[in-house]
Amino acid sequence: MSYQEKNITVSLVSHLLIGVYYLSQLFQMQQAGGLVAAKVFSLWATVIVGTIIVNIIGNILTHILLSIVHAIKTRSEHVEKYVEDERDHLIGLKGDRVSYISFSIGVLVAMLSFAFGQPPLVMFCLLILSSILAEIISDLSQLYLYRRGF
Amino acid sequence: MDKYKVKNNVRKLRFNHDEMTQEQLAEKVGVTRQTIIAIEGGKYAPSLELAFKIALVFGVPLQEVFSYELEGDEK
Repeated sequence: MSYQEKNITVSLVSHLLIGVYYLSQLFQMQQAGGLVAAKVFSLWATVIVGTIIVNIIGNILTHILLSIVHAIKTRSEHVEKYVEDERDHLIGLKGDRVSYISFSIGVLVAMLSFAFGQPPLVMFCLLILSSILAEIISDLSQLYLYRRGF
Repeated sequence: MDKYKVKNNVRKLRFNHDEMTQEQLAEKVGVTRQTIIAIEGGKYAPSLELAFKIALVFGVPLQEVFSYELEGDEK
């Protein structure tokens, strides 16, 4: 497994955890009597900020851990260079495209829910859910491309 | 319309150049070993720049490394 694959795996796990957290919070809100605007928007902020922070910390930790593992394995002080080449960039771009398409479908579904009489809060919940799902699908598609070769 | 594919002789050329490893070639052209594996396996067609770099490493013209052939045609 290459450095990029490990990075994407970390990103996938963090997005899955954020998704589970988000859904569990929504479920708890429903159990407590329904969606409340203030709580939903606070959850929105938590999820968005959390995703950014978790991604940054995840990337840094992956880099540090891989460097330590490499140093232990090779028993050298030589710092491993993680090259990102044109294939990595293309796979990243394909992942972005998949993410964009998935998110667009999610936005459409959210709008349709509003059009079919659901309250606006449901639409907002679906919007953030679709962004998390889009990131998960993007990570999975990138991992698939890496496993297949391109 | 006939389907064409980029084919390559990278594996053969590596072998003819003192059995150069994929890692060594990757380092010389500035990509990862996985990219060399993908190119050799015909999964990934490199950019023109990378193709020229690979040809330069082997000291041969580009046509000797890469060819554009009908899918299924063997040399």
